[in-house]
Amino acid sequence: MMKPFLFGAAALAAALTTVVTPAAAAEPTAICYNCPPEWADWASQLKAIKADLGIAVPFDNKNSGQAMAAMLAEKDKPVADVAYLGGPVGIQAKDAGIVTPYKPAGWADIPDGMKDADGNWFAIHSGTLGFFVNSEALGGKPVPQSWADLLKPDYAGMVGYLDPTSAAVGYVGAVAVNLALGGDYGSFDKAVGWFKDLQKNQPIVPKQTSYARVLSGEIPILIDYDFNAYRARYTDKAPVAFVIPTEGTVSVPYVMALVKNGPNPDNGKKVLDYVLSDKGQTLWANAFMRPVRAEAMSPETAAKFLPAADYARARPVDLVRMAEAQKGFMDRYQAEVK
Amino acid sequence: MHSLSNRRGWGFWLQLGFTLLVCALLTVPMAMSMLAGLTANYFVGLKSGLTLRWVEEVLRVYSGTILLSLQIAVACLACTLVLGVPAAYALARRPGRIARLVEELLMMPVAIPGLATALALIVTYGSVGDLRSSWLFILIGHVLFTLPFMVRAVLAVMGSIDLTTLEEGAASLGAGFLRRFATVVLPNCRSGILAGSLMVLTLSVGEFNLTWLLHTPLTKTLPVGLADSYASLRIEIGSAYTLVFFLMIVPSLILMQGLSRRGRPSV
Amino acid sequence: MSACVQDAPLPHRPAARPPVRPGWVGEPLRLAALLAPAAAVFAAFFLLPLVRLILIGAGGAEGWSAYLTTLADPGHLDSLISTLALSAGVTLVTLAVSTVAGLFLVRNRFPGHALLVALLTFPLAFPGVVIGFMVIMLAGRQGLIGTVTQALGAGKLVFAYSMAGLFLGYVYFSIPRVILTVMAAAEKLDPRLEEAARSLGASSWRVVADVILPALKPALISAGALCFATSMGAFGTAFTLATRINVLPMTIYTEFTLQANIAAAAALSVLLGLITWAALAVARSVAGTSVAAAG
Repeated sequence: MMKPFLFGAAALAAALTTVVTPAAAAEPTAICYNCPPEWADWASQLKAIKADLGIAVPFDNKNSGQAMAAMLAEKDKPVADVAYLGGPVGIQAKDAGIVTPYKPAGWADIPDGMKDADGNWFAIHSGTLGFFVNSEALGGKPVPQSWADLLKPDYAGMVGYLDPTSAAVGYVGAVAVNLALGGDYGSFDKAVGWFKDLQKNQPIVPKQTSYARVLSGEIPILIDYDFNAYRARYTDKAPVAFVIPTEGTVSVPYVMALVKNGPNPDNGKKVLDYVLSDKGQTLWANAFMRPVRAEAMSPETAAKFLPAADYARARPVDLVRMAEAQKGFMDRYQAEVK
Repeated sequence: MHSLSNRRGWGFWLQLGFTLLVCALLTVPMAMSMLAGLTANYFVGLKSGLTLRWVEEVLRVYSGTILLSLQIAVACLACTLVLGVPAAYALARRPGRIARLVEELLMMPVAIPGLATALALIVTYGSVGDLRSSWLFILIGHVLFTLPFMVRAVLAVMGSIDLTTLEEGAASLGAGFLRRFATVVLPNCRSGILAGSLMVLTLSVGEFNLTWLLHTPLTKTLPVGLADSYASLRIEIGSAYTLVFFLMIVPSLILMQGLSRRGRPSV
Repeated sequence: MSACVQDAPLPHRPAARPPVRPGWVGEPLRLAALLAPAAAVFAAFFLLPLVRLILIGAGGAEGWSAYLTTLADPGHLDSLISTLALSAGVTLVTLAVSTVAGLFLVRNRFPGHALLVALLTFPLAFPGVVIGFMVIMLAGRQGLIGTVTQALGAGKLVFAYSMAGLFLGYVYFSIPRVILTVMAAAEKLDPRLEEAARSLGASSWRVVADVILPALKPALISAGALCFATSMGAFGTAFTLATRINVLPMTIYTEFTLQANIAAAAALSVLLGLITWAALAVARSVAGTSVAAAG
């Protein structure tokens, strides 16, 4: 009685293996770490890559820190071909020796300071940090306007921010609040103090992109980028506001890099060329990112952004100093913010 | 099963109420999530209408994860049967200090957190061939984690029957070892094998702790997809995905129920 | 049905009687051969990588003392203690709840009994991530509990993202397993013992305390140990709730993703594994029965 069972199981396993495996292996692929469909509208970008280049890029919901950790653990035999990383993480990836230089088509158009001199990493677009607010989930409270507002008891249990020890956007938030409250890259006293005060309001601290949780009202206020908020507002037609805090904030480039010894380097390079091409850059602009080649932004899209007067409160980050300060901030955050 | 039903005092109703409360704790969120998966807009509520669109979207985007999970579960079952049943037999025939030690050792992958096992596998075998990006890498982790459950389920049944006497009887009729194993040992512990098999299948389909580190973008399993969808997709999609998962495990759970109701070894 | 001689099992007999039969030549060799494949897979894919991991844990600048330093780190110690406290609390609450409900279900038959048992054991196969989602459904911002408390005018009660939420999740996760074990053990109780106690004039309470609970003790210990071990190592629920809940598996994960601190993650993993494994082993030697086969 067991024999048929055994044979059946074996046969089923064999059948499934033959059915499932070849289909996945047949088409040209490139593996991108940290290309989440719900972030920066990677969904549309990956769809366009598939349509125009014929290269399938499976989406991947790691954050920058998780992508770094995975690439380090897999250093001897990488799984990924390219990686998309929050600004300062690109520098760390270069220092860790897990990426390799590549100057994509369109390299010359990237402004200095937005790329590594050798091509170890380069920016593809940037975003401005602020409050991504679901105004219907506030329970009648006004939309917060400043970092100080978020500390008010009114917003207890409503504020979310991504874990600064894991996600790039979390660390960007720390830098933003630190600079806004008068700190600098040398001392994170202001940010650590602010996070300590915020803990009294019982914040929600996810590790992964939480776009949908804001839309569903589970996280009414998320410290996040403008592009996610505009997408919620204009594409998903959600009752969403984006706020650039009165004390100020930062804008941060997001970079991509070619993984050293990746399994499909040629496909990876094509993907990198594509995200900087006219088509790719327009896609980013349509998804409300500031494309690194600024001319890709159409006037219609630009009109949907907050007024330039608000954006005047956002200053660009110093990627190098930001990368240097990261470890020290993380240690303090882990030790002091509870 | 002694019936005390003739005296249903306040104690009975109190306990019934308590049990119903526990049941509500377990089932109400399941019902809520199933409903959310079928609701057009959960934030608006049921008045937004019911729809299958989220379930369709899940099947469109995530059917690969569902197939891969089934594939791994079946392969994992085959491996644990081939490895576990003979091992359980060996342990049952020679109970003693060494058998106990082997049993304890086999339990280790259950005790060591899955993250650690996965990390250990990556640093040791991550650079061997294409293993890292193959589904076999996840299979290895699942076999390690589920093997003790198979061994113990089979061992529990083997411990309650007198294998030696049964086998001696068969041997005296001239049956060789393979024949004895196939016609005497296996049939007599099939309830244990079946219980272990169901356990292995359900554990493998639901495994997340190991798989979260072992998977690559090309080898996403169902729980990895679930975690993805909870974290970053609409709550309706996460719920619809959960609904699909519920439907997948119902058959094996009903079998398990039947098995435990029918009771001990003999099926 | 197969044509085997005896379909029904023989009565239980202690397995400890000497199995060595002089006539069965080569048996030890055969048994070793049967055990070999499992042992080989286990050694190659578990023991070897584990040793490698332990060596990596000691491979940092501090060498073997890294294990002590890691444990002495106040953050890690904190997280170890709260994980232990959480797991112990979950175990006690689950045992209490499941014993009451399980005994009730075994000792009473009523319409809907089978359905109730089925519903109580349905979450058995839920992965931790799903449990986390269930907790959000119950105690999240749009959860049932918050909606009810708000309707009662007590304000929205949201605790999914705190230690209380994790506690609820782990109890949720453990109840089905423990109930199954309790029911299986209670069904095996000899009703004559209970009748004897009653005929001697013992009250219901004394019967439970003096007859039933002692008889269930091995099952409760083994179920409790497994519940404790699962709570110690669980990761999916905390991951889905995704807050800064300070439990050891989350700490390990953070160490790993925070600058890929593999050495610290390895050291903590080894410590966590040792504690959990020891808990299981102690419970097994106390209870004297198979622990993991339960449920």
